[in-house]
Amino acid sequence: MSKIKQLSVFMENKKGELSDVMTLLSQNNVSIKSINLVDSADFGILKLIVDDEQKTKHILDDAGFSVKITDVFAVAIDDHVGSFHEVVSVLSQNDINIEYTYTVNNGQNGAFVFKVDAGDFQKATEALSKAGVQLLQKI
Amino acid sequence: MIWNKIESSPRETIEQLQLSRLKDTVQRVYALTPFYRHKFEQTGIKPEDIASLKDIKKLPFTTKKDLRAHYPFGLFTVPMSEVVRIHSSSGTTGKPTVVGYTRSDMEVWDEVMARVFTMAGTTAEDIVHNGYGYGLFTGGLGMHNGAQKVGATIVPASSGFTERQLMLMKDFGATILAVTPSFALHMAEVAKKAGPDYLKDYKLKAGIFGAEPTSKGLKEEVSKAWGIDYHEVYGLSEIIGPGVACSCKKSDLLHVFEDHFFVEIIDPATGEEVPEGQRGELVITPLTKQALPLLRYRTGDITSITKEPCRCGRTMLRMESIVGRTDDMLIIGGVNVYPSQIEHVISNAYGVTLNYQIIADKKGYLDKLEIHIEVSDEIVCDNVAQMENIKKSIQAALLSNLYINATVRLVEPRSIERSMGKAVRIIDKRKSDE
Ligand SMILES: [Zn+2]
Repeated sequence: MSKIKQLSVFMENKKGELSDVMTLLSQNNVSIKSINLVDSADFGILKLIVDDEQKTKHILDDAGFSVKITDVFAVAIDDHVGSFHEVVSVLSQNDINIEYTYTVNNGQNGAFVFKVDAGDFQKATEALSKAGVQLLQKI
Repeated sequence: MIWNKIESSPRETIEQLQLSRLKDTVQRVYALTPFYRHKFEQTGIKPEDIASLKDIKKLPFTTKKDLRAHYPFGLFTVPMSEVVRIHSSSGTTGKPTVVGYTRSDMEVWDEVMARVFTMAGTTAEDIVHNGYGYGLFTGGLGMHNGAQKVGATIVPASSGFTERQLMLMKDFGATILAVTPSFALHMAEVAKKAGPDYLKDYKLKAGIFGAEPTSKGLKEEVSKAWGIDYHEVYGLSEIIGPGVACSCKKSDLLHVFEDHFFVEIIDPATGEEVPEGQRGELVITPLTKQALPLLRYRTGDITSITKEPCRCGRTMLRMESIVGRTDDMLIIGGVNVYPSQIEHVISNAYGVTLNYQIIADKKGYLDKLEIHIEVSDEIVCDNVAQMENIKKSIQAALLSNLYINATVRLVEPRSIERSMGKAVRIIDKRKSDE
Protein backbone atom coordinates (compact mmCIF):
# COMPACT_ATOMS: atom_id res chain seq x y z
CA MET A 1 0.00 0.00 0.00
CA SER A 2 1.55 3.23 -1.10
CA LYS A 3 -0.78 5.46 0.92
CA ILE A 4 1.11 7.66 3.37
CA LYS A 5 -0.80 9.37 6.18
CA GLN A 6 0.13 13.00 6.64
CA LEU A 7 -1.02 15.31 9.45
CA SER A 8 -1.94 18.87 8.50
CA VAL A 9 -1.99 21.35 11.36
CA PHE A 10 -3.42 24.88 11.21
CA MET A 11 -1.06 27.28 12.97
CA GLU A 12 -1.23 30.99 13.54
CA ASN A 13 1.95 32.87 12.72
CA LYS A 14 2.92 33.57 16.29
CA LYS A 15 6.40 33.67 17.66
CA GLY A 16 7.41 30.35 19.16
CA GLU A 17 4.36 28.50 17.80
CA LEU A 18 6.36 25.99 15.75
CA SER A 19 8.82 25.26 18.52
CA ASP A 20 5.91 24.79 20.95
CA VAL A 21 4.47 22.12 18.67
CA MET A 22 7.84 20.42 18.34
CA THR A 23 8.36 20.41 22.11
CA LEU A 24 4.87 18.99 22.66
CA LEU A 25 5.48 16.17 20.20
CA SER A 26 8.91 15.28 21.52
CA GLN A 27 7.60 15.24 25.10
CA ASN A 28 5.09 12.67 23.90
CA ASN A 29 7.77 10.61 22.15
CA VAL A 30 6.40 11.17 18.68
CA SER A 31 8.93 10.28 16.04
CA ILE A 32 8.77 12.83 13.23
CA LYS A 33 9.69 11.58 9.76
CA SER A 34 9.19 14.84 7.92
CA ILE A 35 8.18 18.45 8.47
CA ASN A 36 6.96 21.00 5.96
CA LEU A 37 5.51 24.43 6.72
CA VAL A 38 3.77 26.68 4.22
CA ASP A 39 2.56 30.01 5.49
CA SER A 40 0.74 33.17 4.53
CA ALA A 41 0.77 36.53 6.27
CA ASP A 42 -1.10 35.40 9.38
CA PHE A 43 -1.33 31.64 9.41
CA GLY A 44 0.40 28.58 8.09
CA ILE A 45 -0.21 24.90 7.59
CA LEU A 46 2.29 22.51 9.07
CA LYS A 47 2.53 19.11 7.40
CA LEU A 48 3.93 16.27 9.43
CA ILE A 49 4.61 12.64 8.68
CA VAL A 50 5.05 10.71 11.91
CA ASP A 51 5.30 7.14 13.18
CA ASP A 52 1.78 7.05 14.66
CA GLU A 53 -0.59 9.55 13.10
CA GLN A 54 -3.65 8.68 15.23
CA LYS A 55 -1.80 9.11 18.50
CA THR A 56 -0.25 12.36 17.24
CA LYS A 57 -3.64 13.68 16.12
CA HIS A 58 -5.00 13.04 19.63
CA ILE A 59 -2.11 14.91 21.21
CA LEU A 60 -2.60 17.90 18.90
CA ASP A 61 -6.41 17.82 19.22
CA ASP A 62 -6.10 17.88 23.00
CA ALA A 63 -3.74 20.84 22.77
CA GLY A 64 -6.45 22.68 20.80
CA PHE A 65 -5.04 22.54 17.28
CA SER A 66 -7.10 22.17 14.16
CA VAL A 67 -5.72 18.98 12.63
CA LYS A 68 -6.58 16.80 9.67
CA ILE A 69 -5.18 13.51 8.41
CA THR A 70 -4.59 13.51 4.67
CA ASP A 71 -3.53 10.76 2.28
CA VAL A 72 -0.43 11.53 0.21
CA PHE A 73 2.00 9.47 -1.83
CA ALA A 74 5.73 9.79 -2.32
CA VAL A 75 8.51 8.88 -4.72
CA ALA A 76 12.23 8.69 -3.97
CA ILE A 77 14.25 11.58 -5.40
CA ASP A 78 17.19 9.63 -6.70
CA ASP A 79 15.20 6.58 -7.74
CA HIS A 80 16.21 7.47 -11.23
CA VAL A 81 16.74 10.77 -12.93
CA GLY A 82 13.53 12.65 -13.59
CA SER A 83 11.24 10.89 -11.10
CA PHE A 84 9.51 14.16 -10.28
CA HIS A 85 8.93 14.98 -13.94
CA GLU A 86 7.64 11.48 -14.62
CA VAL A 87 5.03 11.68 -11.86
CA VAL A 88 3.85 15.08 -13.06
CA SER A 89 3.47 13.95 -16.65
CA VAL A 90 1.62 10.71 -15.77
CA LEU A 91 -0.78 12.66 -13.58
CA SER A 92 -1.38 15.31 -16.21
CA GLN A 93 -2.00 12.67 -18.90
CA ASN A 94 -4.71 11.31 -16.60
CA ASP A 95 -6.20 14.76 -15.90
CA ILE A 96 -5.27 14.62 -12.26
CA ASN A 97 -4.56 17.92 -10.59
CA ILE A 98 -1.74 18.14 -8.04
CA GLU A 99 -2.89 20.18 -5.03
CA TYR A 100 0.60 20.53 -3.65
CA THR A 101 3.96 18.84 -3.54
CA TYR A 102 7.05 19.21 -1.36
CA THR A 103 10.34 17.47 -0.75
CA VAL A 104 11.45 15.67 2.41
CA ASN A 105 14.79 14.32 3.48
CA ASN A 106 14.49 10.79 4.76
CA GLY A 107 17.85 9.31 5.58
CA GLN A 108 20.26 9.61 2.67
CA ASN A 109 17.50 9.57 0.06
CA GLY A 110 15.16 12.51 -0.34
CA ALA A 111 11.54 12.08 -1.45
CA PHE A 112 8.86 14.07 -3.26
CA VAL A 113 5.48 14.08 -1.50
CA PHE A 114 2.37 14.63 -3.61
CA LYS A 115 -1.18 15.54 -2.64
CA VAL A 116 -4.02 15.10 -5.12
CA ASP A 117 -7.76 15.45 -4.63
CA ALA A 118 -9.00 12.64 -2.35
CA GLY A 119 -11.36 11.46 -5.11
CA ASP A 120 -8.42 11.06 -7.52
CA PHE A 121 -6.10 9.28 -5.12
CA GLN A 122 -6.67 5.71 -6.24
CA LYS A 123 -6.71 6.63 -9.90
CA ALA A 124 -3.40 8.46 -9.47
CA THR A 125 -1.56 5.66 -7.69
CA GLU A 126 -2.85 3.07 -10.14
CA ALA A 127 -1.77 5.12 -13.13
CA LEU A 128 1.68 5.63 -11.62
CA SER A 129 2.13 1.93 -10.86
CA LYS A 130 1.09 1.09 -14.39
CA ALA A 131 3.65 3.53 -15.72
CA GLY A 132 6.28 1.77 -13.63
CA VAL A 133 6.82 4.57 -11.10
CA GLN A 134 7.95 3.11 -7.78
CA LEU A 135 5.91 4.65 -4.93
CA LEU A 136 7.39 4.64 -1.44
CA GLN A 137 5.67 2.42 1.16
CA LYS A 138 6.63 4.75 3.95
CA ILE A 139 8.74 7.77 4.74
CA MET B 1 -57.37 32.61 9.35
CA ILE B 2 -57.59 36.06 10.86
CA TRP B 3 -58.84 36.51 14.43
CA ASN B 4 -60.04 40.12 14.30
CA LYS B 5 -61.21 42.02 11.22
CA ILE B 6 -59.22 45.08 12.29
CA GLU B 7 -56.09 43.14 11.27
CA SER B 8 -57.12 43.39 7.62
CA SER B 9 -58.93 46.75 7.69
CA PRO B 10 -57.89 49.64 5.43
CA ARG B 11 -54.87 51.46 6.82
CA GLU B 12 -56.89 54.70 7.19
CA THR B 13 -59.25 52.91 9.57
CA ILE B 14 -56.35 51.59 11.62
CA GLU B 15 -54.66 54.99 11.69
CA GLN B 16 -57.85 56.80 12.78
CA LEU B 17 -58.20 54.36 15.63
CA GLN B 18 -54.54 54.86 16.53
CA LEU B 19 -54.92 58.62 16.65
CA SER B 20 -57.93 58.60 18.91
CA ARG B 21 -56.27 56.07 21.21
CA LEU B 22 -53.00 58.02 21.23
CA LYS B 23 -54.85 61.18 22.28
CA ASP B 24 -56.52 59.28 25.13
CA THR B 25 -53.21 57.84 26.27
CA VAL B 26 -51.52 61.25 26.27
CA GLN B 27 -54.40 62.77 28.28
CA ARG B 28 -54.19 59.90 30.67
CA VAL B 29 -50.47 60.10 31.42
CA TYR B 30 -50.58 63.89 31.61
CA ALA B 31 -53.33 63.74 34.19
CA LEU B 32 -52.15 60.72 36.16
CA THR B 33 -48.35 60.36 35.96
CA PRO B 34 -46.29 63.10 37.64
CA PHE B 35 -43.22 61.79 35.78
CA TYR B 36 -44.80 62.58 32.37
CA ARG B 37 -46.55 65.78 33.46
CA HIS B 38 -43.17 67.09 34.57
CA LYS B 39 -41.59 66.17 31.23
CA PHE B 40 -44.44 67.86 29.32
CA GLU B 41 -44.03 71.00 31.36
CA GLN B 42 -40.28 71.04 30.82
CA THR B 43 -40.67 70.97 27.03
CA GLY B 44 -43.82 73.09 26.93
CA ILE B 45 -46.00 70.36 25.41
CA LYS B 46 -49.75 70.16 26.10
CA PRO B 47 -51.89 67.07 25.37
CA GLU B 48 -53.83 69.20 22.81
CA ASP B 49 -50.64 69.51 20.74
CA ILE B 50 -51.19 65.94 19.55
CA ALA B 51 -53.44 66.51 16.53
CA SER B 52 -52.05 63.90 14.14
CA LEU B 53 -50.00 60.72 14.39
CA LYS B 54 -46.94 62.67 13.20
CA ASP B 55 -47.16 64.79 16.33
CA ILE B 56 -46.00 61.79 18.35
CA LYS B 57 -42.48 63.11 17.68
CA LYS B 58 -43.19 65.92 20.12
CA LEU B 59 -43.54 63.45 22.98
CA PRO B 60 -40.66 62.45 25.26
CA PHE B 61 -39.03 59.03 25.11
CA THR B 62 -39.22 56.55 27.99
CA THR B 63 -36.36 54.19 28.79
CA LYS B 64 -35.76 51.13 30.95
CA LYS B 65 -33.86 53.45 33.29
CA ASP B 66 -37.05 55.44 33.91
CA LEU B 67 -38.87 52.23 34.83
CA ARG B 68 -36.09 51.23 37.23
CA ALA B 69 -36.05 54.68 38.79
CA HIS B 70 -39.73 54.25 39.66
CA TYR B 71 -39.40 50.70 40.99
CA PRO B 72 -41.71 49.02 41.74
CA PHE B 73 -45.07 50.76 41.09
CA GLY B 74 -44.11 54.43 40.64
CA LEU B 75 -45.41 54.77 37.06
CA PHE B 76 -48.71 52.93 37.60
CA THR B 77 -51.73 55.13 36.87
CA VAL B 78 -54.33 53.09 38.75
CA PRO B 79 -54.74 52.15 42.42
CA MET B 80 -53.49 48.67 43.30
CA SER B 81 -57.09 47.55 43.77
CA GLU B 82 -57.46 47.76 39.98
CA VAL B 83 -54.22 45.91 39.26
CA VAL B 84 -54.97 42.23 38.76
CA ARG B 85 -51.56 40.94 37.72
CA ILE B 86 -47.87 41.74 38.20
CA HIS B 87 -45.07 40.51 35.97
CA SER B 88 -41.42 41.33 35.98
CA SER B 89 -38.43 40.96 33.73
CA SER B 90 -35.29 39.38 35.06
CA GLY B 91 -32.83 42.08 36.00
CA THR B 92 -29.31 40.95 35.24
CA THR B 93 -28.08 44.15 36.82
CA GLY B 94 -29.79 45.62 39.87
CA LYS B 95 -33.56 45.75 40.27
CA PRO B 96 -35.91 44.08 37.80
CA THR B 97 -38.50 46.09 35.88
CA VAL B 98 -42.01 45.58 37.20
CA VAL B 99 -45.16 45.79 35.11
CA GLY B 100 -48.84 45.69 36.12
CA TYR B 101 -52.10 44.88 34.34
CA THR B 102 -55.68 45.95 34.97
CA ARG B 103 -58.55 43.69 33.97
CA SER B 104 -58.79 45.60 30.69
CA ASP B 105 -55.02 45.23 30.07
CA MET B 106 -55.42 41.48 30.52
CA GLU B 107 -58.21 41.48 27.94
CA VAL B 108 -55.96 43.28 25.46
CA TRP B 109 -53.19 40.78 26.11
CA ASP B 110 -55.56 37.82 25.60
CA GLU B 111 -56.81 39.46 22.40
CA VAL B 112 -53.39 40.00 20.81
CA MET B 113 -52.23 36.53 21.83
CA ALA B 114 -55.40 35.07 20.30
CA ARG B 115 -54.36 36.79 17.04
CA VAL B 116 -50.91 35.16 17.38
CA PHE B 117 -52.37 31.67 17.85
CA THR B 118 -54.78 32.20 14.97
CA MET B 119 -51.89 33.26 12.71
CA ALA B 120 -50.29 29.90 13.48
CA GLY B 121 -53.55 28.18 12.49
CA THR B 122 -54.72 27.31 16.01
CA THR B 123 -58.41 26.54 16.61
CA ALA B 124 -60.47 24.91 19.36
CA GLU B 125 -59.53 21.54 17.81
CA ASP B 126 -55.84 22.00 18.63
CA ILE B 127 -53.72 20.83 21.53
CA VAL B 128 -51.15 23.45 22.52
CA HIS B 129 -48.04 22.25 24.30
CA ASN B 130 -46.80 25.29 26.25
CA GLY B 131 -43.20 24.84 27.30
CA TYR B 132 -42.56 28.48 28.21
CA GLY B 133 -41.78 29.01 31.88
CA TYR B 134 -44.80 29.93 34.02
CA GLY B 135 -44.03 32.63 36.55
CA LEU B 136 -43.03 36.26 36.73
CA PHE B 137 -41.68 35.99 33.18
CA THR B 138 -44.49 36.91 30.76
CA GLY B 139 -43.83 34.03 28.31
CA GLY B 140 -45.67 31.17 29.98
CA LEU B 141 -48.87 32.92 31.05
CA GLY B 142 -48.98 35.09 27.92
CA MET B 143 -49.04 32.00 25.73
CA HIS B 144 -51.48 30.33 28.08
CA ASN B 145 -53.99 33.20 27.85
CA GLY B 146 -53.90 33.33 24.05
CA ALA B 147 -54.39 29.59 23.62
CA GLN B 148 -57.27 29.70 26.08
CA LYS B 149 -58.89 32.61 24.23
CA VAL B 150 -59.01 30.66 20.95
CA GLY B 151 -60.43 27.69 22.84
CA ALA B 152 -57.57 25.26 22.26
CA THR B 153 -56.60 22.58 24.78
CA ILE B 154 -53.58 23.82 26.73
CA VAL B 155 -50.94 21.57 28.21
CA PRO B 156 -49.20 23.90 30.69
CA ALA B 157 -45.92 21.97 30.70
CA SER B 158 -43.73 24.95 31.65
CA SER B 159 -39.97 24.69 31.08
CA GLY B 160 -37.43 21.96 31.79
CA PHE B 161 -37.73 18.13 32.02
CA THR B 162 -37.19 17.52 28.31
CA GLU B 163 -37.87 13.76 28.32
CA ARG B 164 -41.12 14.19 30.20
CA GLN B 165 -42.23 17.01 27.88
CA LEU B 166 -41.61 14.79 24.85
CA MET B 167 -43.64 12.02 26.42
CA LEU B 168 -46.57 14.40 27.04
CA MET B 169 -46.36 15.76 23.49
CA LYS B 170 -46.52 12.23 22.07
CA ASP B 171 -49.19 10.86 24.41
CA PHE B 172 -51.48 13.91 24.24
CA GLY B 173 -50.97 14.42 20.51
CA ALA B 174 -49.88 18.08 20.69
CA THR B 175 -50.43 19.93 17.40
CA ILE B 176 -49.04 23.36 18.33
CA LEU B 177 -45.72 23.86 20.11
CA ALA B 178 -44.99 27.03 22.09
CA VAL B 179 -41.42 27.15 23.44
CA THR B 180 -38.21 29.14 23.00
CA PRO B 181 -36.43 28.24 19.73
CA SER B 182 -33.33 27.00 21.51
CA PHE B 183 -35.42 24.68 23.68
CA ALA B 184 -37.29 23.44 20.59
CA LEU B 185 -33.97 22.48 19.04
CA HIS B 186 -32.82 20.79 22.22
CA MET B 187 -36.10 18.84 22.37
CA ALA B 188 -35.57 17.72 18.77
CA GLU B 189 -32.07 16.49 19.57
CA VAL B 190 -33.41 14.38 22.40
CA ALA B 191 -36.37 13.17 20.31
CA LYS B 192 -34.01 12.05 17.53
CA LYS B 193 -32.49 9.46 19.84
CA ALA B 194 -35.63 7.39 19.18
CA GLY B 195 -34.40 6.85 15.62
CA PRO B 196 -34.50 8.53 12.21
CA ASP B 197 -38.30 8.25 11.91
CA TYR B 198 -38.92 9.91 15.30
CA LEU B 199 -41.41 12.38 13.73
CA LYS B 200 -44.00 9.62 13.24
CA ASP B 201 -44.70 9.74 16.99
CA TYR B 202 -45.69 13.41 16.90
CA LYS B 203 -48.61 15.35 15.41
CA LEU B 204 -47.14 18.87 15.50
CA LYS B 205 -48.07 21.20 12.63
CA ALA B 206 -46.91 24.63 13.80
CA GLY B 207 -44.83 26.29 16.47
CA ILE B 208 -44.88 29.71 18.09
CA PHE B 209 -41.38 30.77 19.02
CA GLY B 210 -39.96 33.86 20.62
CA ALA B 211 -38.30 35.42 23.65
CA GLU B 212 -34.76 35.22 22.29
CA PRO B 213 -32.91 36.60 19.25
CA THR B 214 -32.84 33.94 16.57
CA SER B 215 -30.85 33.65 13.37
CA LYS B 216 -32.46 32.53 10.13
CA GLY B 217 -30.38 29.36 10.24
CA LEU B 218 -31.68 28.40 13.66
CA LYS B 219 -35.29 29.00 12.57
CA GLU B 220 -34.84 26.74 9.56
CA GLU B 221 -33.28 24.07 11.75
CA VAL B 222 -36.19 24.14 14.21
CA SER B 223 -38.72 24.09 11.42
CA LYS B 224 -37.01 21.14 9.72
CA ALA B 225 -36.32 19.15 12.88
CA TRP B 226 -40.02 19.20 13.83
CA GLY B 227 -41.50 19.37 10.34
CA ILE B 228 -43.58 22.43 11.28
CA ASP B 229 -44.42 26.00 10.26
CA TYR B 230 -42.32 28.48 12.20
CA HIS B 231 -44.12 31.50 13.64
CA GLU B 232 -42.07 34.08 15.42
CA VAL B 233 -43.73 36.10 18.18
CA TYR B 234 -42.26 39.35 19.48
CA GLY B 235 -42.98 41.24 22.65
CA LEU B 236 -41.56 42.61 25.85
CA SER B 237 -43.00 42.83 29.32
CA GLU B 238 -42.71 46.63 29.46
CA ILE B 239 -45.19 46.85 26.58
CA ILE B 240 -47.39 43.81 27.35
CA GLY B 241 -45.35 40.59 27.09
CA PRO B 242 -45.45 38.33 24.02
CA GLY B 243 -48.08 39.53 21.55
CA VAL B 244 -46.77 42.82 20.15
CA ALA B 245 -46.15 41.21 16.75
CA CYS B 246 -46.10 37.81 15.06
CA SER B 247 -45.20 36.35 11.66
CA CYS B 248 -48.01 34.93 9.50
CA LYS B 249 -48.04 31.96 7.12
CA LYS B 250 -47.05 34.05 4.09
CA SER B 251 -44.10 36.07 5.33
CA ASP B 252 -41.09 35.91 7.65
CA LEU B 253 -41.82 39.47 8.75
CA LEU B 254 -43.88 40.08 11.88
CA HIS B 255 -47.25 41.87 11.74
CA VAL B 256 -47.43 44.47 14.51
CA PHE B 257 -50.84 44.74 16.20
CA GLU B 258 -50.95 48.43 15.47
CA ASP B 259 -54.36 49.13 16.95
CA HIS B 260 -52.74 48.51 20.34
CA PHE B 261 -49.10 49.39 19.72
CA PHE B 262 -47.80 52.39 17.76
CA VAL B 263 -44.32 51.72 16.44
CA GLU B 264 -41.57 54.03 15.22
CA ILE B 265 -38.05 53.31 14.01
CA ILE B 266 -35.47 55.89 15.05
CA ASP B 267 -31.77 56.47 14.69
CA PRO B 268 -30.59 55.49 18.18
CA ALA B 269 -27.90 58.16 18.13
CA THR B 270 -30.08 61.15 17.16
CA GLY B 271 -33.60 60.04 18.11
CA GLU B 272 -34.80 61.08 14.62
CA GLU B 273 -37.16 58.89 12.61
CA VAL B 274 -35.46 56.87 9.83
CA PRO B 275 -37.10 56.28 6.41
CA GLU B 276 -39.37 53.25 6.03
CA GLY B 277 -37.37 50.10 5.39
CA GLN B 278 -34.23 51.37 7.06
CA ARG B 279 -32.98 49.77 10.26
CA GLY B 280 -32.97 51.55 13.57
CA GLU B 281 -34.21 51.27 17.13
CA LEU B 282 -37.79 50.13 17.65
CA VAL B 283 -39.82 52.57 19.77
CA ILE B 284 -43.28 51.49 20.95
CA THR B 285 -46.16 53.48 22.41
CA PRO B 286 -48.86 51.19 23.78
CA LEU B 287 -52.21 52.75 22.85
CA THR B 288 -54.60 50.99 25.21
CA LYS B 289 -52.62 50.28 28.37
CA GLN B 290 -54.33 51.29 31.62
CA ALA B 291 -52.08 50.26 34.51
CA LEU B 292 -48.78 51.24 32.97
CA PRO B 293 -49.16 53.49 29.91
CA LEU B 294 -45.78 54.48 28.48
CA LEU B 295 -44.89 57.03 25.84
CA ARG B 296 -42.38 56.15 23.13
CA TYR B 297 -40.67 53.32 24.96
CA ARG B 298 -37.18 52.68 23.61
CA THR B 299 -36.90 48.91 23.28
CA GLY B 300 -33.18 48.85 22.43
CA ASP B 301 -34.09 46.32 19.70
CA ILE B 302 -32.92 46.96 16.15
CA THR B 303 -35.30 46.26 13.29
CA SER B 304 -36.98 47.84 10.26
CA ILE B 305 -40.62 48.13 9.21
CA THR B 306 -42.58 47.98 5.96
CA LYS B 307 -46.16 48.99 5.20
CA GLU B 308 -46.28 46.97 1.98
CA PRO B 309 -49.38 44.78 1.79
CA CYS B 310 -48.91 41.16 2.84
CA ARG B 311 -50.20 38.20 0.84
CA CYS B 312 -52.03 36.91 3.92
CA GLY B 313 -54.52 39.79 3.66
CA ARG B 314 -53.50 41.58 6.85
CA THR B 315 -52.88 45.30 6.45
CA MET B 316 -50.99 45.82 9.68
CA LEU B 317 -47.39 46.83 9.06
CA ARG B 318 -44.63 44.28 9.39
CA MET B 319 -41.27 44.42 11.15
CA GLU B 320 -38.30 42.19 10.48
CA SER B 321 -36.99 39.81 13.07
CA ILE B 322 -34.79 41.67 15.59
CA VAL B 323 -31.29 42.00 14.14
CA GLY B 324 -29.52 43.25 17.25
CA ARG B 325 -29.48 45.47 20.30
CA THR B 326 -28.58 49.15 20.31
CA ASP B 327 -26.07 48.41 23.07
CA ASP B 328 -24.13 46.21 20.62
CA MET B 329 -24.18 48.56 17.65
CA LEU B 330 -20.80 49.50 16.21
CA ILE B 331 -20.24 52.49 13.98
CA ILE B 332 -17.43 51.72 11.56
CA GLY B 333 -16.46 54.51 9.21
CA GLY B 334 -19.97 55.95 9.52
CA VAL B 335 -21.70 52.63 8.80
CA ASN B 336 -23.87 51.06 11.52
CA VAL B 337 -23.10 47.39 12.03
CA TYR B 338 -24.55 44.86 14.44
CA PRO B 339 -22.60 41.80 15.54
CA SER B 340 -25.57 39.64 14.51
CA GLN B 341 -25.13 40.77 10.90
CA ILE B 342 -21.46 39.86 11.00
CA GLU B 343 -22.37 36.55 12.59
CA HIS B 344 -24.78 35.86 9.76
CA VAL B 345 -22.00 36.33 7.19
CA ILE B 346 -19.68 34.05 9.16
CA SER B 347 -22.38 31.40 9.46
CA ASN B 348 -22.50 31.17 5.67
CA ALA B 349 -18.74 30.64 5.39
CA TYR B 350 -17.00 27.33 5.02
CA GLY B 351 -14.42 25.84 7.39
CA VAL B 352 -14.86 28.28 10.26
CA THR B 353 -16.85 28.27 13.52
CA LEU B 354 -19.15 30.84 15.09
CA ASN B 355 -16.51 31.63 17.68
CA TYR B 356 -15.35 35.02 16.58
CA GLN B 357 -14.21 38.32 17.97
CA ILE B 358 -14.76 41.76 16.50
CA ILE B 359 -12.02 44.25 17.26
CA ALA B 360 -12.66 47.90 16.45
CA ASP B 361 -9.72 50.27 16.56
CA LYS B 362 -8.52 53.52 15.07
CA LYS B 363 -5.70 53.89 12.60
CA GLY B 364 -5.01 57.59 12.53
CA TYR B 365 -8.46 59.08 12.05
CA LEU B 366 -9.86 56.02 10.36
CA ASP B 367 -11.84 53.24 11.98
CA LYS B 368 -10.32 49.84 11.54
CA LEU B 369 -12.20 46.61 11.96
CA GLU B 370 -10.57 43.27 12.48
CA ILE B 371 -12.47 40.02 12.89
CA HIS B 372 -10.81 36.96 14.34
CA ILE B 373 -12.56 33.70 13.55
CA GLU B 374 -11.65 30.30 14.93
CA VAL B 375 -11.24 27.65 12.26
CA SER B 376 -13.14 24.38 12.64
CA ASP B 377 -11.73 21.60 14.83
CA GLU B 378 -10.62 19.71 11.78
CA ILE B 379 -9.34 22.05 9.07
CA VAL B 380 -11.36 21.69 5.90
CA CYS B 381 -8.39 21.90 3.57
CA ASP B 382 -4.68 21.72 4.16
CA ASN B 383 -3.76 24.02 1.36
CA VAL B 384 -2.74 27.53 2.39
CA ALA B 385 -4.10 29.13 -0.77
CA GLN B 386 -7.53 27.56 -0.24
CA MET B 387 -7.59 28.67 3.38
CA GLU B 388 -6.67 32.17 2.22
CA ASN B 389 -9.66 32.01 -0.15
CA ILE B 390 -12.01 31.25 2.75
CA LYS B 391 -10.72 34.34 4.49
CA LYS B 392 -11.02 36.48 1.35
CA SER B 393 -14.55 35.31 0.64
CA ILE B 394 -15.65 36.34 4.15
CA GLN B 395 -14.04 39.75 3.64
CA ALA B 396 -15.79 40.12 0.30
CA ALA B 397 -19.17 39.16 1.79
CA LEU B 398 -18.75 41.67 4.62
CA LEU B 399 -18.03 44.37 2.08
CA SER B 400 -20.85 43.56 -0.32
CA ASN B 401 -23.53 42.77 2.29
CA LEU B 402 -22.68 45.17 5.10
CA TYR B 403 -20.51 47.76 3.35
CA ILE B 404 -17.71 47.31 5.82
CA ASN B 405 -14.05 46.92 5.11
CA ALA B 406 -12.81 44.39 7.61
CA THR B 407 -9.64 42.39 7.92
CA VAL B 408 -10.40 38.78 8.72
CA ARG B 409 -7.88 36.68 10.59
CA LEU B 410 -8.27 32.95 10.88
CA VAL B 411 -7.18 31.76 14.30
CA GLU B 412 -6.73 28.45 16.06
CA PRO B 413 -9.68 26.71 17.74
CA ARG B 414 -10.38 27.86 21.31
CA SER B 415 -7.81 30.65 21.05
CA ILE B 416 -10.32 33.48 21.53
CA GLU B 417 -10.71 34.55 25.11
CA ARG B 418 -13.83 33.11 26.77
CA SER B 419 -16.01 34.65 29.41
CA MET B 420 -18.45 32.28 31.14
CA GLY B 421 -17.90 29.74 28.37
CA LYS B 422 -18.82 32.17 25.58
CA ALA B 423 -16.33 33.82 23.25
CA VAL B 424 -15.92 37.53 24.02
CA ARG B 425 -17.55 39.05 20.93
CA ILE B 426 -16.59 42.68 20.79
CA ILE B 427 -13.56 44.66 21.81
CA ASP B 428 -13.83 48.36 21.04
CA LYS B 429 -10.40 49.84 21.59
CA ARG B 430 -11.64 53.25 20.42
CA LYS B 431 -13.70 53.62 23.57
CA SER B 432 -10.70 53.79 25.89
CA ASP B 433 -9.42 56.87 24.02
CA GLU B 434 -12.57 58.91 24.55
ZN1 LIG C 1 -49.05 38.44 6.58
